[in-house]
Amino acid sequence: MIRIAAVGDVHIDKDVVGRYRPALEELPDKADVLLLAGDLTRHGTEDEARCVATEFGGLGVPVIAVLGNHDHQSDSPDAVTRVLTDAGITVLEGTGTVLDCGGARLGVAGVKGFGGGFAGRCASNFGEPEMKAFVGTTERIADSLADALHSLDCDVKVALTHYAPVPDTLVGEPLEIYPFLGCYQLGRAIDSAGTALALHGHAHHGTERGTTPGGVRVRNVAHPVIKQAYSVYHLLGDDADIESPSLVHAGR
Amino acid sequence: MTTQHHADIETNRPLDEYAEAEVQRLLTEDGRVAEQGLTVSRREHTLILCGDVESVQRRDEIVRLVREQFPGIDLQVDIGLTRANAPAEAEELS
Repeated sequence: MIRIAAVGDVHIDKDVVGRYRPALEELPDKADVLLLAGDLTRHGTEDEARCVATEFGGLGVPVIAVLGNHDHQSDSPDAVTRVLTDAGITVLEGTGTVLDCGGARLGVAGVKGFGGGFAGRCASNFGEPEMKAFVGTTERIADSLADALHSLDCDVKVALTHYAPVPDTLVGEPLEIYPFLGCYQLGRAIDSAGTALALHGHAHHGTERGTTPGGVRVRNVAHPVIKQAYSVYHLLGDDADIESPSLVHAGR
Repeated sequence: MTTQHHADIETNRPLDEYAEAEVQRLLTEDGRVAEQGLTVSRREHTLILCGDVESVQRRDEIVRLVREQFPGIDLQVDIGLTRANAPAEAEELS
């Protein structure tokens, strides 16, 4: 069995440091890995990233993250990534990593993702250059997720994004802002690669559970949705021995 | 929940849909707040803020800024703190 803990949208700054720590101390007893689904900071500053590193570094299990839109607000996502990486957190963007979870190889591929909307109500790559740039960004990011998922050499694949790959987990949000919360292209990438589970955040008023058109289970782990420090998902009901996992491969 | 009623609803910024939009943008774009997960709605003369934030300080700052920039409106604040306890159960997906 593989035990995956996940949370997104923690929006850490100095005023939040220490809030998660009591629950995180229990993490090694509950999960083999922690996935962070973006919006780790409030404004994407290096100072805030250091607060994230303080809160989510040195946990005793591997921590894998993608950035969110808030983590881009200061136009320095590379600096945020560097601070997190220096703290031992693996940051994915069109990349993947494989963990050995007691004999089972867990592959995680991640991207921030982007908006665009869902089938029948989505933006098109047409018209003004601004519109083409918007949808072109969506398509490029979704393609990079597909490539990263396909490149994983593992037993179980998990997709980690900030933006939503399906509308199911947005229920509760105003319909009018669905195009800003996710896009169908992420779902198509997830469906193309034999993915077992897709995790995302971003939609604070959404719901936890959904399914892609291809049948992949989707969970919205935004902190205001799960209402706890993290949720834990168990995959693979075999008798694989659970030991401390280690990063066996990173990057692409 | 905290509710602040202002007896004087005379204001230089009437509580219309433009004010509602301005509050929504204030919550997102003001560097002291940067919250996109809050719902702003109007009910007659009352502006309602709803959602969860990560600290008491953030909730207090939101209320202070909205009151400062939209003086004289009835403001109903239903902003909670997101719980950060460890999960009691796991979901079996096998």
